[in-house]
Amino acid sequence: MSIKEFIATIPYNRISLRDLFAFEKSPVNILIALMTLSFLVMFALGVAIYLEHGHHAYGVSRQHPWGLLIAVYIFFVVSSTGLCIVGSLGDVFGFKDYMAVSKRAIFGSIVTIISGFAVIAFEIGHPVTMVIYNVLSPGLTSAIWWMGTLYGIYLTFMVVEFVFLLRNDMRMARYVGFFGLMFGLLAHSNLGGVFGFLNARPIANGVFYPTYFILTAFITGIFITFIILGFRYKLNFTEEIKKLLTGLAKIQALLISILIFFVSWKMLTDIYDGLPGRADVALHILGSWTFWIEVVLVMIVPMVVILRNMGENLKAIFWISLSGMIGIFFMRYNLVHDAQLKPLQMLKIKEYQLAPEWIHYFPSAAEIMISLGGLGLCILLYFIGSKLFNLDADAHH
Amino acid sequence: MARYAMALDYKNCIDCKACEVACKEENGILLGADKQRIWVGHGEIKGEYPFLDITSNTFMPSQCQQCETAPCESVCPTHATYYDENGVVRVDSEKCILCSYCMVACPYDARYVDDRTHIVDKCNFCSDTRLVRGETTTACQATCPTKVRIFGDLDDPESEISQVLRVREYFTLKPHLGTNPKLFYLT
Amino acid sequence: MKVEISRRKFLQGSVAMTVFGGSAVTVPNLFSNEPPQAKPALFSKTGTGEAQEIPTLCEMCVNKCAALARVENGVVTKLDPNPLFPKSKNMLCPRGNAAISALYDPDRLKYPMIRIGERGEGKFQRVTWDEAYNYIMQKTLKILDEEQDNRSSFLFCAGEGMAEHTFKSFYEAFGSANWLNHSSICLQTVASAYGVTIGKYPEADLENADYVIMAGANRAEAIVTPDTMDLFKRTKNRGAKLVCIDPRFTNTAAKADLWLPIKPGTDLAFVLALTYVVLTEELYNKSYVEAYFNDFELYRQNIVENQYTPEWAQTITGIDAKHIYQVARDFMAHAPRAVYYPGRRSTFAKNDFQLRRAMAIFQALGGGIDTKGGLIFGKQFTLKGHETLAPLYERAQGRALGKPRNHDRGHTGYHDCAIVTGGGSWIQWRNRFLDNDMPYNVRGMYIYKHNPIINTPGSAKTIEMFKKMELIVCIDTMPSDTVMYSDVILPECHYLERTDPVKTFGGAEPSIAQRNKVVEPMYETKPVRDILRSLTRMLSRPMFDITKKYDESVQAEIAEYGEEEVFKQFDINQPFREHQEHLNEHEVSAYPGAAEALRTKGVYYPDMEQYFKQISVNDFEYYPENKRYYSIGNGKPLTPSGKIECNLNNLVAKGIDPMPKWRQEYEYIIPQNKFLLLTGRHAQFTQSSTRNNAKLRDLMIENFLWINKRVAQKMDIAFGETVEVSSSMGSLHIKAYPTEKIAPDQLFFIHGFGEESEALTWSYQNGANDNAIIEDHVEPVYGSAAMHETFVEIKKV
Ligand SMILES: Nc1nc2c(c(=O)[nH]1)N[C@H]1C(S)=C(S)[C@@H](COP(=O)(O)OP(=O)(O)OC[C@H]3O[C@@H](n4cnc5c(=O)[nH]c(N)nc54)[C@H](O)[C@@H]3O)O[C@H]1N2
Ligand SMILES: Nc1nc2c(c(=O)[nH]1)N[C@H]1C(S)=C(S)[C@@H](COP(=O)(O)OP(=O)(O)OC[C@H]3O[C@@H](n4cnc5c(=O)[nH]c(N)nc54)[C@H](O)[C@@H]3O)O[C@H]1N2
Ligand code: SF4
Ligand code: SF4
Ligand code: SF4
Ligand code: SF4
Ligand code: SF4
Ligand SMILES: [Mo]
Repeated sequence: MSIKEFIATIPYNRISLRDLFAFEKSPVNILIALMTLSFLVMFALGVAIYLEHGHHAYGVSRQHPWGLLIAVYIFFVVSSTGLCIVGSLGDVFGFKDYMAVSKRAIFGSIVTIISGFAVIAFEIGHPVTMVIYNVLSPGLTSAIWWMGTLYGIYLTFMVVEFVFLLRNDMRMARYVGFFGLMFGLLAHSNLGGVFGFLNARPIANGVFYPTYFILTAFITGIFITFIILGFRYKLNFTEEIKKLLTGLAKIQALLISILIFFVSWKMLTDIYDGLPGRADVALHILGSWTFWIEVVLVMIVPMVVILRNMGENLKAIFWISLSGMIGIFFMRYNLVHDAQLKPLQMLKIKEYQLAPEWIHYFPSAAEIMISLGGLGLCILLYFIGSKLFNLDADAHH
Repeated sequence: MARYAMALDYKNCIDCKACEVACKEENGILLGADKQRIWVGHGEIKGEYPFLDITSNTFMPSQCQQCETAPCESVCPTHATYYDENGVVRVDSEKCILCSYCMVACPYDARYVDDRTHIVDKCNFCSDTRLVRGETTTACQATCPTKVRIFGDLDDPESEISQVLRVREYFTLKPHLGTNPKLFYLT
Repeated sequence: MKVEISRRKFLQGSVAMTVFGGSAVTVPNLFSNEPPQAKPALFSKTGTGEAQEIPTLCEMCVNKCAALARVENGVVTKLDPNPLFPKSKNMLCPRGNAAISALYDPDRLKYPMIRIGERGEGKFQRVTWDEAYNYIMQKTLKILDEEQDNRSSFLFCAGEGMAEHTFKSFYEAFGSANWLNHSSICLQTVASAYGVTIGKYPEADLENADYVIMAGANRAEAIVTPDTMDLFKRTKNRGAKLVCIDPRFTNTAAKADLWLPIKPGTDLAFVLALTYVVLTEELYNKSYVEAYFNDFELYRQNIVENQYTPEWAQTITGIDAKHIYQVARDFMAHAPRAVYYPGRRSTFAKNDFQLRRAMAIFQALGGGIDTKGGLIFGKQFTLKGHETLAPLYERAQGRALGKPRNHDRGHTGYHDCAIVTGGGSWIQWRNRFLDNDMPYNVRGMYIYKHNPIINTPGSAKTIEMFKKMELIVCIDTMPSDTVMYSDVILPECHYLERTDPVKTFGGAEPSIAQRNKVVEPMYETKPVRDILRSLTRMLSRPMFDITKKYDESVQAEIAEYGEEEVFKQFDINQPFREHQEHLNEHEVSAYPGAAEALRTKGVYYPDMEQYFKQISVNDFEYYPENKRYYSIGNGKPLTPSGKIECNLNNLVAKGIDPMPKWRQEYEYIIPQNKFLLLTGRHAQFTQSSTRNNAKLRDLMIENFLWINKRVAQKMDIAFGETVEVSSSMGSLHIKAYPTEKIAPDQLFFIHGFGEESEALTWSYQNGANDNAIIEDHVEPVYGSAAMHETFVEIKKV
């Protein structure tokens, strides 16, 4: 079967363009539509500013070269990995209860990673050169190279898996899905490695991030699953979905408790006995409000809400999943920012300046617009997908 | 083929910043403090007037350390950062994708984005300017009023830098990171 | 407005500034930024293709370091040190490197211009050279005619520079007696005090001294060659002990073994106490004193009987007596290889002349005169000398001085000061002019390479003086504040665009060096010599006609010898006819091969070929050790008597202490809530002349006010906050830099910023101009500006 023939076999809904963009005009929907539209406009605007001014359009600097876009990229690829994990529960690992969300989750993982790529394309100065020289002169010691390459492969697998799912070829979907998941996890831990390999940055350096990334990906995947199913069923879940979500909620509680352990011990070891460049940074992090947003929204609130009635209160969990994603965003932002908090050069290099203490960074308008644009793109793609494809599990399951 | 390095008699430095200007002129570096390849740092004085701690005001000239195990090289996804035949860590502007990973990875804050070429750049021991023209000094070395810098080939035991490093004590910056810097601070 | 935008952009750093950037030209503001004719790729790296290397000399400051200019496609792309020059020893400081930005500064003066607006308003009209000369001629002739050929009705002012004497030749030929240069705001007292005491303002052999006292000289930031290089290579356990005496913690202090913060203006007490220790403990070099001192015994009595003990000095200077003992003993233990550094910019306080004399005598007590490791006279190769013309104008009056004081009442000297030297007293001359206390009218000014509005204390007064002048002609390269107050602007080319008079540099390792033209002058600029050639060609005959009209002896001479014969002596064009290149060849014609060497290598000294060698990657040898001129007379002072002059009796008649003495009036108390203001240098700037240099500005955008950290905290002033500083002269705004490097009752900021000329894109109102608030105190001997006697108040704004 040639690729062309294979593509021809993908089942999709033949609908007119008009139908494609039609939706029920409920207030919430209109709001979302307007939001998405404005995000997309911002995307275009942000990109235009970037094309005009390059990195000067961003709040990044020599001491803080990585900014919001990197955080948002991570946010999306972590979401993707998380959705892939959730999707794999059913069709790779064969947990029947979770089959119902597989297609939707796998599709979500594709949409999120594409959005991530769309955002990072405007952070990497020369994306085309990247494609060329990633192949011509691969930097095999570079975590970024591995991460990028593995994500590329991962995306391919996810697309193929999705097609098999659409074609209801569960056997092939499982094989392909397995590889997709593997590559996703590899890619993702390499993303952790991008930070973990930074010997110069004791706060990030070590094994923590690669493992933590997998854990938080799973958590993110579950949050998003709640969100997309919440929307799909307008919070009126079928029994099947209720069972699925309750199960995920319990897993989530477990994962979050592990996360709390992880983070607590990370902080403790960071601070213990005051290793310079690590303890001071950790204390600084503890003093920042963004960290506490992460703690409250990702850890405390979800834990409390889920444990209150053992994952049965799905509507509440839907809402805390939304706020949880905000927390997850801060988690990514903090991760990127905190790694760069401590100046590597602590002396005054000008006559009239104060010696650098902490590196300040605040995203510029362009960065914020491109980031929101990524979100807009993600919603748009998802919306189109939900129109074009049947994302619900097929009846005979 | 050589293994270029630099020894700095840093206690001679008077913070005049001739080296910074010379580097900018020689290598066509843009204006702006975050653009420079080379800098001189110092701390704010400690103590209370008139009881001041003279050593807290020591001037530390610095630039890319030309690490023998350079984190910027290992993290570069496209080999844009490479060791040239003289052991100088260089950037190939063709290959650099401006991912900034090297900037995050370099422990010495030695890299910056060049706004004309749109790549990440750094000190290259004047390799593509003075050294290709056959000169044997770097711009920062040549101009220095108090002759802080000795540039030379570590592989040549007769070179002045080799001799100096054999007889004088020195330290390198952040040695615990294992980057093996080739900037030697003479004490 | 346009300027504002580009300034802001620059500050943001978001837009790469190119030399072409900046504001557009709006008539009649002709100062603005037109693209230079040659296309300087200011931010392109040096190439690997064909290039020329032309030897030149730096003129970014007084030192004249030797440079090699790299020229690619007609553009100067790099300046490297020329290792051949023993004075600059293979270095270029940041300013020397940044000269390229000065050459290609779009704000440069480009065309001759004539003022069309109010004086100081900054409105000028572009004219041709001939129109400019014509204008100058008309005005000059008018004034001279009305003043009946009193040539002194014009004042001539010059800053330091290799062509300063070219301009001075103009002044001499013109026949005025009024000349004011930088010396009374720079080194007058130190140069003269050493002159009268040991016979010459000496060099310090810092390459060989084992012990150095640097008092009030900041060699790390106020760069003087070869002192800066020689000294700092040897500090920090590398050969020389350095004692730094400065009220501020400078970069020199940062290299010192001992830093003694002194109460400003009290160095004299410190030196007297050192001398006391040395004399009472008999630590001095007895054989030297025996051989070369005049009136030693008198001096000893003066010191001992006045009880200038370290304990006495401690209360005045704030320096612990034990340090004074220690320094005196250590100095003498190392003497004669010990240097009490003479210093350069005096005058800090009213007692400066006496202070410098006391320093010279103290140095001599150790025998460290004309000897290796001490103060040296060195040798200088003589040049043939250039032609000058100094006609005798009968009607020209003497220097416009204040009247001699009333001798009957015991007053001696003049109103201005006790001793009037060639350089004059800028402040006194100006103030008297403003007070209408002039013996005759002075109505016009010619200014060369000098910016008195910024560089003379009391900027407002200098402006007032300018406003009263009928004609001001300014030869400069940049639209300085002074330029903005002139009537005719004659743009000189940048120093890289001209060959200047060859110069001989004395010292232990003497040489001759020459600035060669590196690139052709841009725009319509010319070297001052060419400007003066054309100007005097036009002026010469009509001015002579005026002389003819009023000068009876000239009339008589004409009657006797005929007009043309007499005119020859009065032809003020004559000194400028020769071209600089030819003159230079003539000047060095006594040295075979010198002219050629100066053209191709920039530097010459006999046996250079043989002596000069590289001894390490950084170091060069100029003369073999045994050929250096450390000593030219085995220690003999160069005074007419051949002795160190402790007691200058002839000064008594002028009301000056014949021997250094401490006087009650030297003591002062800083009033409550006031501060003493100090001024000084920074390594990256030269007075006012580098303020607009983009590369230097990149290193430090503006000057900040040093204020003691604890005081600032009490006054709730944080780093970078704007404060108002005011004195009786006026007030200004400046950002604060709280630091412990300065005493609680003192303030400091770097001199040379805060110009008001809008034509200076980067330096217009950038930072603050100290001379706007420094009061016009003078020391009494030479009328030099005593710059550290101003009390100021501050408040947060
Ligand atoms: N408050 C305070 N005042 C001071 C001092 C201080 O420390 N504090 N320092 C004093 C000292 S030591 C000195 S020497 C004087 C110096 O005072 P000035 O002699 O006035 O020296 P600069 O400020 O260097 O200004 C010289 C002028 O020459 C111009 N110029 C530069 N190059 C050329 C050239 O090649 N040709 C021509 N024609 N013009 C050129 C510049 O544009 C500038 O306008 O200032 C004194 N004034
Ligand atoms: N980079 C640079 N180098 C220069 C120049 C320049 O403009 N820039 N200018 C050149 C010229 S023209 C000159 S004249 C020289 C000037 O060379 P210096 O005279 O060395 O320069 P200043 O900075 O004026 O030095 C004065 C120092 O004396 C201190 N001081 C003030 N009052 C007192 C006092 O009462 N007692 C003592 N002991 N110290 C006091 C000040 O804090 C300051 O550090 O520099 C030359 N070199
Ligand atoms: S040129 Fe030399 S003395 Fe000046 S700042 Fe650089 S290293 Fe220090
Ligand atoms: S100092 Fe930084 S830029 Fe230079 S080689 Fe080392 S890691 Fe690379
Ligand atoms: S910015 Fe350029 S040199 Fe640096 S790691 Fe990325 S590709 Fe390599
Ligand atoms: S070696 Fe060359 S490139 Fe490196 S800092 Fe010095 S002048 Fe600049
Ligand atoms: S000290 Fe600097 S500015 Fe002065 S002449 Fe030398 S290089 Fe030029
Ligand atoms: Mo001076």
